[in-house]
Amino acid sequence: MDLISGIQFDSFAEFLDMGGYSFNVWAVYGLFVVFITVNLYVPVLRRKSLIRDLKRRQTLAEQAHGAEVNSAGRHKLEEAEGNS
Amino acid sequence: MWLWFAKLGSPKWFYELSTKWLPWLTAAMVLTLGVATIWALLYLPPDYQQGYTSRILVVHVAVAGTSLAFFPLMAVAGTITLVWKMKLADMVAKNAAALGAWFSFITLATGSLWGSVSWGTWWEWSDSRLVSMLFQFFLLLGVVSLRSALEDSEKAAKACALLSIVGCINVVVIKYSVEWWNTLHQPASPVSMESGSANGPEFWIATALMILGVYLFLSVSLILSTRNEILQRERKALWVQELLADTKSGRG
Repeated sequence: MDLISGIQFDSFAEFLDMGGYSFNVWAVYGLFVVFITVNLYVPVLRRKSLIRDLKRRQTLAEQAHGAEVNSAGRHKLEEAEGNS
Repeated sequence: MWLWFAKLGSPKWFYELSTKWLPWLTAAMVLTLGVATIWALLYLPPDYQQGYTSRILVVHVAVAGTSLAFFPLMAVAGTITLVWKMKLADMVAKNAAALGAWFSFITLATGSLWGSVSWGTWWEWSDSRLVSMLFQFFLLLGVVSLRSALEDSEKAAKACALLSIVGCINVVVIKYSVEWWNTLHQPASPVSMESGSANGPEFWIATALMILGVYLFLSVSLILSTRNEILQRERKALWVQELLADTKSGRG
């Protein structure tokens, strides 16, 4: 099968028309693309926000830990906790 | 054997292995789906009865067939959760339910868009195939809401595992509905080697390629969401902490 002559349509308009069933055929392929894009893109976005969130927690924990290790800071930390 | 089994259940092991595999799976998915879609849209000869609407069936058959894999997958994962309490199995099961609901919905929608032309109706309540697929959609939504309704995550995992095992009965009903009851939805056309016949090589090779692409998509999507679940649930583990320290925000 030749890559050009194997194409079933003579013009782009004919391709869009799909033998008169353009709505049904293109709606199916449109849905299919949306379905795939959403189910790949949503987990990627979720990963980004999750990593951002977990890194922020990590920084906060490190700061709290740093203050605790600091001998003078231990008192400060307790103070800060008391104030909050 | 048991060491391998224990390793397989370790979220850390899964996370590291999937990091290596994801680029290859994604590339294979893009290639397969791309070739199958272009083939179906441009090169598939019009069916002598359906004309160009047979292009719909390439997508419909691939998504519908793959949607039947979700309950068995969740049942296996659920059994592993119930028997061995493996954390990873439940993480996969949790994300599979929502994805499976998407698959069922797309099956129904594409089927409707095909049926409105070929059957002259969008929906038929008396058709066992249509109704059992709708039931699978609701069952999967049920699994998703059951999980979010139960606060105790261990109880939720057990309840979802049980529902997934029971839900497999419906998969058998969907599969054989077209043989048990003779209604609107036709049984699968036998694969034919004869070019130009109802399910000739042009059609079934395109469909087989699309099925492969859809399975690859299922794997990539499920791996992506399971990795998120691992990071979320194992956030206090040392290896996640180290991983985060090495990762720039939103990358890696």
